[in-house]
Amino acid sequence: MSTRDDTTDVRDVPTERDDQPLLKISNLHTYFRTDSEDVRAVDGVSLTVDPGETVAIVGESGSGKTVASEAITRLFKSPPGYIPEGSIEINGREITDLSDEELRRVRGGEVSHVFQNPQGALNPVYTIGWQIREALQLHADVSKSEARERAVELLTQVGIPEASSRLDDYPHEFSGGMKQRVLIAIALACEPDLLIADEPTTALDVTIQAQILELLAELQEQRDMGMLFITHDLGVVAEIADRVAVMYAGKIMEKGSVEDVFETPAHPYTRALLDCLPGRGGIGGIPGELPDPRSPPPGCRFADRCRHAIDACRTGDQPGMHRVGDAPDHTTSCVHFEPGRDSSTVLDAGSEPAGSPSPPDDLERGGRR
Amino acid sequence: MKWYVIRRVLWAAFASFIILTITFVLMDQVPNQQLMQAEFQAAVNDVDVETAVQAEKERLGLDRPFHERYLDFMTNVFQGDWGWSYEYDQPVVDVVRETVPYSLLYGVPAIVLSTVIGTAIGLYSAVNQYTKKDYAATFAAFFGISIPNFWFGIVLLVVFGSWLGWVPIGWNADIPLAADGSWTLLETAGSDHPAFFRQDFEGERYVGILSPANLKQLILPTFVLMTGAIASVMRYARAEALEYVDADFVKTAKSKGVSNRAIVTKHIFRPASIPLMTILVGRILGLVLFGSYLIEVVFGIPGIGLASFQAIIRQDTDLVAITILLPTFVAIVGNLIEDIMYAVLDPRIDYGDR
Repeated sequence: MSTRDDTTDVRDVPTERDDQPLLKISNLHTYFRTDSEDVRAVDGVSLTVDPGETVAIVGESGSGKTVASEAITRLFKSPPGYIPEGSIEINGREITDLSDEELRRVRGGEVSHVFQNPQGALNPVYTIGWQIREALQLHADVSKSEARERAVELLTQVGIPEASSRLDDYPHEFSGGMKQRVLIAIALACEPDLLIADEPTTALDVTIQAQILELLAELQEQRDMGMLFITHDLGVVAEIADRVAVMYAGKIMEKGSVEDVFETPAHPYTRALLDCLPGRGGIGGIPGELPDPRSPPPGCRFADRCRHAIDACRTGDQPGMHRVGDAPDHTTSCVHFEPGRDSSTVLDAGSEPAGSPSPPDDLERGGRR
Repeated sequence: MKWYVIRRVLWAAFASFIILTITFVLMDQVPNQQLMQAEFQAAVNDVDVETAVQAEKERLGLDRPFHERYLDFMTNVFQGDWGWSYEYDQPVVDVVRETVPYSLLYGVPAIVLSTVIGTAIGLYSAVNQYTKKDYAATFAAFFGISIPNFWFGIVLLVVFGSWLGWVPIGWNADIPLAADGSWTLLETAGSDHPAFFRQDFEGERYVGILSPANLKQLILPTFVLMTGAIASVMRYARAEALEYVDADFVKTAKSKGVSNRAIVTKHIFRPASIPLMTILVGRILGLVLFGSYLIEVVFGIPGIGLASFQAIIRQDTDLVAITILLPTFVAIVGNLIEDIMYAVLDPRIDYGDR
């Protein structure tokens, strides 16, 4: 903590520190250049994370959640990736226009990442001690022996037994769960304000998953650290997050506190996702596919797969974020929640599986017409 | 680790043994030049050919049983008695001792420079994959691989030697030597030095390996040998590095705040260097030895390549055998070093001690 305090005077310290979010993303776009049209991986995402808070981004594969998380510290490959518009503020400082040099100080210093696949995330030819020390020495002026001590401390904190004797071991001498613990230790090495965890438990087996989640929650509480948690697993969201944002095809469909979103899921996509959870009846998944990210259809991105789609869903832009009920922060991007429309058409619809026998017939009839 | 090294060394010794045996059998099958000469002499002198050949066989020990000759051959090889060169009229060992330094003179700088430059270009190309810089480097590499050394050497000689007159056309084998014929790094000599045969000048000039005149005549052969080697090192380095450019651990490093330079040198090059060792030691050594044949013929450098070339043309059997065996042994030793380097560099390799 002491090293962090030394550097605060360099950063422009915001005046109203209390009600300022740790991370504020507004209207973020991230595109990837291709030979034809740009792939719009993230297409207007707004999100905040407060200190000490955990925000989860949920969505299926290809929804842009990983790109959104990597756009924060510009980790995506560039070129072809670029941010055409949008703003990212960390502790009140805009970071989209930082130089590479300045951004390097943010990476690992203020914002750390933990990635999905611990198997490949450690360099196979260096000892884990070396890899933790590297992170430490990049952001603080510490001697080799100090860094070594600190590394042992970190490894102990993330639950690696006999840490001092394992410093000189190579990554292949650790199991997957242990590697993820090492990676968490690396991410926490410089006391970041924000930890971005991109599906950190997906590649691990269930018992280890629970341990890692517990560890993350524990470390977060100790450090009062903000966490952005990317996952496709709604069960994990319920367990770890305070607030949740549901992403689909580069857009946020619904966001709100975990209780609100799970109790009163508003957007048809969120409802369909929740129906896919085991024990809720639906096992067929959501029929249809993600729209082409090069030329997304007009209107709501989910309209083609939505049971409640009406003509208004297929014109204009993605609907704005509308309040759901009386909950303060619970909003959704669905036309049925526009003021003046009846939101009960969605909210009161049963959760019978969407893939009922009728759609194929409909399609056939449509084809003959 | 100790047992691993011992096992590799034993394998190398076994491979050498097999190669020597095959060489012996092949040489035994080749018509013997001295016997043919004796036969010819006998015919000319009008004596009985059969007896003459038999006498010559006895003189050379060829009438003894196969296994005795085989044992003899093996003992001689290990004792450094590699036969007699009729062309040079001296033991093969001495021919090798005199010619190899000339080959090293341009071969060593070519290996070192092409490894360093080729790896650097390959890494650069991999990090900038599919950009104009990458295409330019890849194009240059294909160019380097496609151009035959001997042709490129002749073109360069015509342009820089004949037209521009920047480098000498004839290769002066005496310049790197001192007046008494021994190798020297740098010293001065008067016009009585053999290198300045038929040249008259006052005072002294530099001779020796590092003398300007010697460096000047080494530029073209080194450069020609390098073009092919750089290109292949570059292709390998690019392919190896590409495997790691998008690796998860590179992203981890980036998210830690590691600079782009350190990512390339520490996180990409270090793991890529392990398989690169294979190429650096084995392939490049072979490439250089193979390439030296035609380069030495084109430039007239009296190295081992030229000696081997002339030995083949003139059927100097013992010298041919040795000049072909030498690269083979270099390759065996190279592979041995490579195996040991692998074990040192890659922590994932289990030495399998006992």
